Amino acid sequence: MDRETVAKVARTAHLMLSEEELDRYSRDLGDILEYFKSLDEAPAHAGIGVNPVEVADILREDIPYQEFNADELLKDMKTYENYIRGPKLS
Amino acid sequence: MKIGLEIHVQLPTKSKMFCSCPTTDAPAPNTHVCPTCLGLPGSRPVLNRQALVYGIMLAKMLGCTIADTTWFSRKTYFYPDMSKSVQITQYDHPIGVGGVVYLDGKKPIRITRIHLEEDPGKTKRTADMSSLVDYNRSGIPLAEIVTEPDLGTPAEAREFLTQLVADIRHTIDLPENGERSIRCDCNISVGKERCEIKNVTGLKNAERALTYEMIRQVQVLKAGGKIDRETRAFDEARGVTYSVRKKELEADYGYIDEPDLGIYHVGMLAKSITIKESPLNMTLRLAKQYGIEEAKAKQLVATSTDLAALFEQLAAATDVPTALTWATGAVTANWKAFTARNVPAAEIVDIVKHLRAGQITDTQCALELKSYMTGQSAESAAAAAADLEKIIAGYLDEHSEVVADAQKNDRAANRVIGFVMKQTGGSHSSAEIVEAVNRQIKQRL
Amino acid sequence: MTADATLAQLKRLNDAYQMFRIFTADQTAGDAKFLFSAKDNLTSQEYETCCGSRILEGYRPIFDATAIARLKTAGGKLIGKTNMDEFGFGTFSVNSAFGVPKNPFDRERSCGGSSGGSACAATVLEDHISLGVSTGGSVCCPASFCGIYGLVPTYGRISRYGLIDYGNSLDKIGLLARDPVKLGQYLPVIAGKDPHDPTSGIQPELKLRHRPIRSIAVPKEAMKGISPTVAKAFENGLQILQSIGIDVERVDMPMLGYAIPAYYVLATAEASTNLARYCGMRYGHQDGDYTQGFDAYFSSIRTQYFGDEAKRRILLGTYTRMEGFRDRYYAKALQVRMDVIDAYKAAFQNHDAVLTPTMPFVSPKFTDIAKMTPVESYAADYLTVPPNLAGTPHLNCPCGYDADGMPVGMQFVTDHWHEDELITMAEQWDKLFDVRIPEVKA
Repeated sequence: MDRETVAKVARTAHLMLSEEELDRYSRDLGDILEYFKSLDEAPAHAGIGVNPVEVADILREDIPYQEFNADELLKDMKTYENYIRGPKLS
Repeated sequence: MKIGLEIHVQLPTKSKMFCSCPTTDAPAPNTHVCPTCLGLPGSRPVLNRQALVYGIMLAKMLGCTIADTTWFSRKTYFYPDMSKSVQITQYDHPIGVGGVVYLDGKKPIRITRIHLEEDPGKTKRTADMSSLVDYNRSGIPLAEIVTEPDLGTPAEAREFLTQLVADIRHTIDLPENGERSIRCDCNISVGKERCEIKNVTGLKNAERALTYEMIRQVQVLKAGGKIDRETRAFDEARGVTYSVRKKELEADYGYIDEPDLGIYHVGMLAKSITIKESPLNMTLRLAKQYGIEEAKAKQLVATSTDLAALFEQLAAATDVPTALTWATGAVTANWKAFTARNVPAAEIVDIVKHLRAGQITDTQCALELKSYMTGQSAESAAAAAADLEKIIAGYLDEHSEVVADAQKNDRAANRVIGFVMKQTGGSHSSAEIVEAVNRQIKQRL
Repeated sequence: MTADATLAQLKRLNDAYQMFRIFTADQTAGDAKFLFSAKDNLTSQEYETCCGSRILEGYRPIFDATAIARLKTAGGKLIGKTNMDEFGFGTFSVNSAFGVPKNPFDRERSCGGSSGGSACAATVLEDHISLGVSTGGSVCCPASFCGIYGLVPTYGRISRYGLIDYGNSLDKIGLLARDPVKLGQYLPVIAGKDPHDPTSGIQPELKLRHRPIRSIAVPKEAMKGISPTVAKAFENGLQILQSIGIDVERVDMPMLGYAIPAYYVLATAEASTNLARYCGMRYGHQDGDYTQGFDAYFSSIRTQYFGDEAKRRILLGTYTRMEGFRDRYYAKALQVRMDVIDAYKAAFQNHDAVLTPTMPFVSPKFTDIAKMTPVESYAADYLTVPPNLAGTPHLNCPCGYDADGMPVGMQFVTDHWHEDELITMAEQWDKLFDVRIPEVKA
């Protein structure tokens, strides 16, 4: 895979790659995609394949209920006045 | 000029879309949260049935073709308010496609699709250059309605939104907590190229944003420039749109199916769901079906769709002119009091039937209706009615020029109405006063 | 060895074999009826849960995975969380940011992966049951390399609540044990519908009736590319099965050849979305500079704390679902999965099970693993991937040993929801074949 594509994919995936890694992953991904080429020859299929066994119509009633205490949930997080802290929005 | 809208409506479920956290009245930030809406590793979504039902109801309201089978997809993008960095939404198999809304009953605005998705959390900036996030909103169910670019002006877009919101309110009982729970992405092209203004909150801002953007585009084109297709945001405080193209171009959402939820046979579910007729549709139908003026039909429906339904019962029990006179007259006048009581509407029909059969007079009918609908005894109703008539008659005697004026000026009656309202200080409903004043003026003409 | 004795030895054993990333300091089992361990991608309240990754250091879940909770309710004591490839990405458990488990038969060799630690614990500790997780083969591969039984039930049979996701349409919790009776004993405990996991909500009731496997299909495709040792042990296993009256037929299943690319496309696509949430907020490492813009902050944390294989799979998975590539890769892979399922269903028309070797070779030495390219390690999964892609239940039985005494395994695959036949087979097999227990050095 060419370096520019890898760089674009890395930006989308929020990974910073060094020059060495860009080269290495370019090669690796190129080899792997080559290996995937056989997919092109595989037969098509018209079904819906979201899960390997059909999982259908599982719903939950609209009843508000909290299993966990919100304080418990926040205990290991960086918070400020009950807000959760995050990086600059820019 | 072409305008298209992507409208996000929060659905009024009691619990969130994929978890059972409550959706209203959170006591503090991050109190209506759980592993699922916080995206904690190992948590899993479970779809709220009511959100799906509301989605189907809206799809029906919009005249969309409802999918046989629908499922959800993952849209991946990184932002602090995204607890999973993934929004569960719908991509290539939404619940409904291909509907149409007739703006004011006339101009067709095509609906491309409607789908369901979850709301992200809310962020705010801090002084120290970091951010604070509240995930109470994370996971609240949204319906996204996408229109074709069939709207012609910002004002028309606002009109469309007003009508749409009224219809949505009526169909799924959306609470009236202001327009804030409606957000739009507004797409507008004056020339060939369009710009998208993202995440505009409320109907007024949608019109303001579109108006500003329209003027901006016109000016650019007039000066011989070119419009770049881009994404913009709306600054509410300053009333301007500004470019945010950098962030948006980088995002490639990379949609995949959401296997954790599976599929839903909504075609079958939709068959068992009926929706209320929208106010607009009812108005048009009544006008057409009963041959009455659209304005009268609108008046009935605007007071209450239940009142309009009662009109239909009256028409069936007596005849259209009788039904119309009394429905728009005495029944409307006493409607508010009637809805506060829990008495059956059938009795109203019976009273008017008696009138039609000649068993009681107009005056008696009016009194019986007032008495039944407000709970006042017949005697005191009669006495109060007589008082009102006296006050009106007294004023009209003293100000005979009002009657003459009323021949050409629709609003001449307002002076009388104002006076009478002050005099009677709330003991009669405004609808009753209006009815009585108009009747007396008419009698004198 | 009693439970207490096991606990007393735990530290010494772990020093030798590195099966646990974290384990109990308790010296007695107390009221517990049995001891169990779980792969570190299953949430546990009493232990930090890291999925073999530094990015989750410090994550203390506030809920137990359903499978763990059910074992506890049945009287089990969770004695530790086992080492694994980061987020399940690997075949040898060497992609662990923490310890790398060592094969009990030869500590210079791999336990297999990604549930290497669980297989190791189940081999080394007496009377033990360990929960593993299989996405593309991560229960049966280590079971094969360690010479024990590994059972992966049908996708959806066991609730995935508390399972930290690799691929949501592929992940399945499985059981690893020396004693096959434990498979039938504990499967009913952890299986069953769970309102927390919709995919567990459509299963038919699990009824273990000791139905036997009477006829087996062996796909010719499976016999290509396996080492002579594996071929020999496998043929030997076939003969044993035939000797007890099981019918064996060689068949063609050409669709199996497409399973690996389809699997890797779907698994990495799903994984890349599952791992998007790890960005230095809310849990795990949250220690970067918050005054950076969020894009830079997220990128720096992810770059610092994800391992090499994780990055490779995130890149691959992001690519295969990007606009312009999605149809060719992601959408096509979904279709190929359905083709593979159809192929299995066709085979099950005439046979109770499909049988192949589990892995194409015995456990390799760590030095050899270090020389493998990514494609070579992915290709090693070609026998375990097909049933995992199809979501069909499958079982590893040890069926032989090479000249160095390293175990070889064979893999039975039955139709969706037919765990019963696999459990019967495991118990039957154990009576016919002498499973070797390695000498435990501590």
